[in-house]
Amino acid sequence: MTSQSTGSDGSKAPAPDRDPRPVTFRIARFTPRPQSERPARTNPFAKSNPFATAGNRRARGRRWTQEYTIRIAPQRTVLDALLQIKREVDPTLNFRYSCGHGMCGSDAVLINGRPDLLCTATIADCLSASKTMPNVYATPGVANGNSQAQQPPAFRRTGTATTATAVSTSASHSDSVPDSTATNFSATDPTETGTATKATSHTDTPHPTETSGYAESSVVEIRPLPGFTPLRDLIVDTDAMFEQIRRFKPYLLNDDSSADSSQAAQTKAAKAEPASEYRQTPEELARYELLSTCIACGLCQGACPIYAGGEAFAGPAAMIAAARFINDSRDSHRQERLEAIDQVDGIQACQSIRACTRPCPRGIDVGEEMWKLVEAVKE
Amino acid sequence: MNALILQQPTLTFRTAKGESRCQRTIAEDHAMTGNHPGFRVVMKRITYEPGVARVTSQGCDLTVGGHLAARDPPDDLIHMLGEGKFGHKTHSARASRHGLEGTPLSTGRDSIVGMNPQKVKNRYDAVIVGAGAAGLSTALGLYRALEGNRSKSGLSPKVLVVSKLQPLRSHTGSAEGGIAASLGNQEKDDWHWHYYDTIKGSDWLADQDAVRILAEQAPGIIIELEHDGVAFSRTEDGHIAQRKFGGHTADYGGHPVRRAAYAADRIGHQILHALWQQCLRLGVEFAEEWYVTDLVVDPPADEETGGQARGLIVLDTHAGKLQAIQADNIVLCTGGAGRLFHTTSNSWDLTGDGMALALQAGLQLEDVEFIQFHPTGLGHTGILLSEASRAEGGVLRNSQGRAFMQDYAPGHGDLAARDVVSRSIMAEIDAGRGVADPSDPDGPHDCVWLDMTSIDGQRMTALLPQVTETIHRYAHLDPTVDMVPVKPTAHYTMGGIPITDRGRVYRWQNGHRRIIDRLFAAGECSCVSVHGANRLGGNSLLDACLFGTRTGQTIAAVISKADELNDMTDTSPLTQALQKRQAFLDELLTGASEAKPSEPALADDQGEASDPGDEASLNNPYALMGRLGRLMEEAVAVRCDQGSIEKGLLGLDQLEADAKQLRAHSETAVLNQEVTAIMEVDNLLTLARAVLNASLQRQESRGALYRSDYPRRDDEHYLAHTMIDAKEDVSWQPVHIVDMPPKGRSY
Repeated sequence: MTSQSTGSDGSKAPAPDRDPRPVTFRIARFTPRPQSERPARTNPFAKSNPFATAGNRRARGRRWTQEYTIRIAPQRTVLDALLQIKREVDPTLNFRYSCGHGMCGSDAVLINGRPDLLCTATIADCLSASKTMPNVYATPGVANGNSQAQQPPAFRRTGTATTATAVSTSASHSDSVPDSTATNFSATDPTETGTATKATSHTDTPHPTETSGYAESSVVEIRPLPGFTPLRDLIVDTDAMFEQIRRFKPYLLNDDSSADSSQAAQTKAAKAEPASEYRQTPEELARYELLSTCIACGLCQGACPIYAGGEAFAGPAAMIAAARFINDSRDSHRQERLEAIDQVDGIQACQSIRACTRPCPRGIDVGEEMWKLVEAVKE
Repeated sequence: MNALILQQPTLTFRTAKGESRCQRTIAEDHAMTGNHPGFRVVMKRITYEPGVARVTSQGCDLTVGGHLAARDPPDDLIHMLGEGKFGHKTHSARASRHGLEGTPLSTGRDSIVGMNPQKVKNRYDAVIVGAGAAGLSTALGLYRALEGNRSKSGLSPKVLVVSKLQPLRSHTGSAEGGIAASLGNQEKDDWHWHYYDTIKGSDWLADQDAVRILAEQAPGIIIELEHDGVAFSRTEDGHIAQRKFGGHTADYGGHPVRRAAYAADRIGHQILHALWQQCLRLGVEFAEEWYVTDLVVDPPADEETGGQARGLIVLDTHAGKLQAIQADNIVLCTGGAGRLFHTTSNSWDLTGDGMALALQAGLQLEDVEFIQFHPTGLGHTGILLSEASRAEGGVLRNSQGRAFMQDYAPGHGDLAARDVVSRSIMAEIDAGRGVADPSDPDGPHDCVWLDMTSIDGQRMTALLPQVTETIHRYAHLDPTVDMVPVKPTAHYTMGGIPITDRGRVYRWQNGHRRIIDRLFAAGECSCVSVHGANRLGGNSLLDACLFGTRTGQTIAAVISKADELNDMTDTSPLTQALQKRQAFLDELLTGASEAKPSEPALADDQGEASDPGDEASLNNPYALMGRLGRLMEEAVAVRCDQGSIEKGLLGLDQLEADAKQLRAHSETAVLNQEVTAIMEVDNLLTLARAVLNASLQRQESRGALYRSDYPRRDDEHYLAHTMIDAKEDVSWQPVHIVDMPPKGRSY
């Protein structure tokens, strides 16, 4: 149905996927420093430094990487695993989640280097993906040549010296050893090294003896969604994304109603039977129906190498939101909407890399829709 | 309190000054310009130009926390900045106004200001708690009604929607099947039939005057939703398409009728997004990821009155700080409480917060013993498989392959009312004809099969995309060829905060409804009551949208009529509540250092940290919530008796004792989910006690409540609403019977 096609072949999954086994979750953690301790002492010009990578606005605090090894069936979702960790190992781990079945869009993160929803990614997916597709996210043309499996869309930080960290699957044999030194991801950010080195994490290994039976260990690495500012652990700031969505007036504007909305409201209040619906044929609906299923999870933004925080590009999610109304036959402002997105940081910024397509949990071919917008704007 | 990040206001200002690469703090800008009105003009102009280079990004966010704390800029300045002082995620109404006409929404009513955080600083005309269908409908109803009056009154409201989730994350988005209304687009329908079906579905416990409003005004609400942008599925001639749903009949119980308007099987998603979008259009102000911890209600002055609402204490989770909000009108729209149970279709956030707030504020709840179990939760997950799966041809089968619903509900079969189907499933399981979830073949045989193999594959993809996807993803099965394990899943709380059909919360006192001034509720957390003992499918979204809109209109009328400010100068009750909650929060957090540390800076003591994961010894709210879910399932899920309820009450005592010991394991208050979870557990426990006691008191079986020790309905004694408060005092409010005397209810 969507990119998560494992469901269909899951029915033929070998029995082991149903059986709990030890899986290690390596999670990038961050605890912000309380504001009161240290008021932001800002150089007002510092943050607008054009060379500072967006998403690099480093809040102060402790960063470290923490590993948890738990027993869980690989066919369960990563969310199931993290909730089990919260319940049984470490209640301080913070991550957004709500509906648990891919409808609310709150749990977008980076899993083994791929943007994904915690509740739709199964552990089996993650393990197989990390072995067979070490660098799926290095989109052709923008890969920086350094194939680090776990470095999130590495091309995003071409200007930053990145230190390769020992995170390949082969290196994670040590995971079966209790209290192994966790990989320190903060090393990729020189400014944080000071605190980071102190932060050699302790590893929670509630079942140390059980892990030893597996020669090949299983590691699922989870980091905050790239392109968004981490606020705590896996929780990121989504405000920027929503601001960009809002910018293109993501609401139906039908001049019949907008002209006298107050009057309409009054007549509605007075009469039980208002006029009638705007007519729309199934064919007209089909032109935007899939677009309207966007849950604003931000995975496409996280995958887009141009977006990178929104400085240069409003982002695919904002474009999809605009496209949803551009293609809705009930909307009276198609032309204005097309003009609105035809901006330097609007659809013009899209480089048709199409990295945005793969992660969409609703099955929207985001890259193709973006291309359609490019064409529509040209007309 | 002062830890806020202002986004749009600052950014647009910066752009307007032509210094897009330069960033200043508000305080500095204030110092430079010294000109507040100019500020306002600039902001307005810029937000009217969608094309200007937008500079918002992580790299450019402006943190003003330190400056506010350090310099105390004039409050009117902060006031102008789109209520930034209310915290991190408060979007300015003005800033969100993307080029639509409209006046700034500031009333100029100033708050009671003091820099002491213990004092009440914030005041609103209305605060809406919750941003699902009910909360957003209330906001829209309020704004639209005031827009209609604005030319006359010149009023512009100061309204805030507070929600513990970003609005699009609300659980409304998971509703799948449809929203009921007698549009009659595909076959003849009549609102009187809808009226009848709802009352019959409720097992004659619904208040008929309220149901009449629901059925009669439903078509109008659907049209309004369509105008708001909902992408309804369509008939060939372009009308809103409708499908059959359990319990929807023609001619007062005759043949099934197509009444549920749908959008494939994601009607909730469509409604939630459309409502949110329209709120953006009108410039509704949101405070996202704020958790309301206390509702402050003045006790009634005498027997004849109900008291009045004072305000709220909220936790801004981003700042990790508590604050008091004074509100002339408060609306609770917090949704249901499915997390009382282990197997539930509800999201992790449906912890009955609004209902527990009401109980803790000394108010009553109505009919909370009625909890609907949706028959088709997916196996071990409890994720909902929409009723549409049966409406489109899915059949329930037991371990012998028999389509057993024909035995329990001849004529209606798989589309009988939900409580009937749920009980039938449990009866089959109890009779040993259940099946095991294939993902746990050795587990208990506590499921039955949902057989969708007769549905054409293409049709399934077109009409049930969500259902199909859920089965693929979470059961690893293909419904076109595989049978799917299902079991009843906790789905909807029929009861809740008692409200009038205008959304006003009341106390039931000495046989009278005593209105609580300034307090309203809508949606699943409330009880009008239109659902009675069992909700009819398709009526939950309708209830939320319709009574939400009405509540908004009521508040608009209240605001318009108010000649002068209510005298709310005495903020001591709020201050006290804030201090009390602050002490509680401090205790939770300072207890953190004693608990097992997880953060490396604290983890020097490896001996303690590597303490093996002894699950029993780890007392945390997540584990406790799991224990509560299992306890409630044993006590009252689908069926119960006196013994099971009393056992549940005993177990609850232990859980409450454990809950008192809960402390956070991290002392950092910012985005500390465990702190919120501890308060959610408190809420669930408060509510669980009310549910169990109300179930105990009602010695009959009606609708969703099935007591095996009292298997019959008893209209002589219990044709009445249960009104229960936190002291476990129960009183009974007669049902409003208007048009339809109670009859048998057979499906």
